[in-house]
Amino acid sequence: MSRKSKTRERLFTVFFMFAVTAGFISAVSALNLATADIVARNAGLFMQRAVLEAAGLDPTGSAPQVNARYGAAVKKETSPDGDTFFRVVDPGSGEESRVFVRRGAGLWGSITAVVGMQRNHEILAGVTFVEHNETPGLGARIDEAWFKKQFRGKRPPLRRVPEGTASASVSEFDAITGATVTSRAVEQILNRTAAETRHKAGP
Amino acid sequence: MAAGRTKQIFIRNLGSDNPVFVQVLGICSTLAVTNVLKNTVVMCLGLVFVTSLSNLSVSLLRKWIPSRIRMMVEVLIIASYVIIVDIVIKAYLPDISRQLGPYVGLIITNCIIMGRAEAFALSNPPMASLADGAAAGLGYSYVLFAIAFCRELLGSGTIWGVRVLGDWWVNWSIMVMAPGAFFMLAIFIWAVKRFVVTGEEAKKK
Repeated sequence: MSRKSKTRERLFTVFFMFAVTAGFISAVSALNLATADIVARNAGLFMQRAVLEAAGLDPTGSAPQVNARYGAAVKKETSPDGDTFFRVVDPGSGEESRVFVRRGAGLWGSITAVVGMQRNHEILAGVTFVEHNETPGLGARIDEAWFKKQFRGKRPPLRRVPEGTASASVSEFDAITGATVTSRAVEQILNRTAAETRHKAGP
Repeated sequence: MAAGRTKQIFIRNLGSDNPVFVQVLGICSTLAVTNVLKNTVVMCLGLVFVTSLSNLSVSLLRKWIPSRIRMMVEVLIIASYVIIVDIVIKAYLPDISRQLGPYVGLIITNCIIMGRAEAFALSNPPMASLADGAAAGLGYSYVLFAIAFCRELLGSGTIWGVRVLGDWWVNWSIMVMAPGAFFMLAIFIWAVKRFVVTGEEAKKK
């Protein structure tokens, strides 16, 4: 092969890679731009549901329903020390609770919990988890309804008891069998949140 | 393209040349996404889409792809389609996207796709490549469905999230963890090799 045709072949190779890359990247970018709004809306809706659930309100329903309920009950606020939280007023009873987003170390990664405290900062209004990488079937069971529901009305600091104990005590919760690290993480996140927010308690 | 050829491609990929239980490719995702049936279906649809279209694209470009950079081009094409799948799932199935987490992105590294692009699409016409990609994807999918069905049933007592086994059932936690997938896959491969695909082995002897 002559030197000239070799150079041409090399140039073609570079040109070809550029052309193919440009073509595919444009297609992917276009799709990304086209769906960016929907993705952002999904993320927003997910957070709204989590805040409602943590405040003990109904998080189910279509997007407009959740939007309306959220708009009527929730106000995002910043405390004097720069901490963001949500002030939620139950439209039915007029009771107020505050919802905090808190993170703690789980087994495989961090767990982000949304924790609702009732107005007096003594009692949990509700708990839900927005992000975690726990083991499916074990630690990931923190997403199950029975696990999240049991925290409503509990008074931290909490203590773990074996799963299925269905503890009636206000300072105990059922851990998950086979997920000790995850359960301990949840315990720590909740107790820390309660301790931190209690002394912030104000009107 | 002759209909007989397409049929042959499908039979080969679903049976005697199945990517999962004969070639034992794409095992990483077999382990990761088969604990619940719903996630498996989404993952498999994504994989069929990516194998089909990446095979088609590679085949369409095969006469111009310089051979020394063919792998770069293949990876670029595959990655683009995977990102498309990821974006679509994120936008329209946010709950499933959250559960599948990084695994959709990991389709890029699924050896089946690269394998089909290298072994078939580079040397075959577009329609045959499309069929081959779809067939390889389906061959992967039905094995995963079978494994996911057993794992969800034994591990959670549910099928498609609906409880089918009563309260007496004690969930086998190991089934929803990665080792459960190893056991199921091994049993599946053993059963298929022992009872179904026995012809070739026998002929060799």
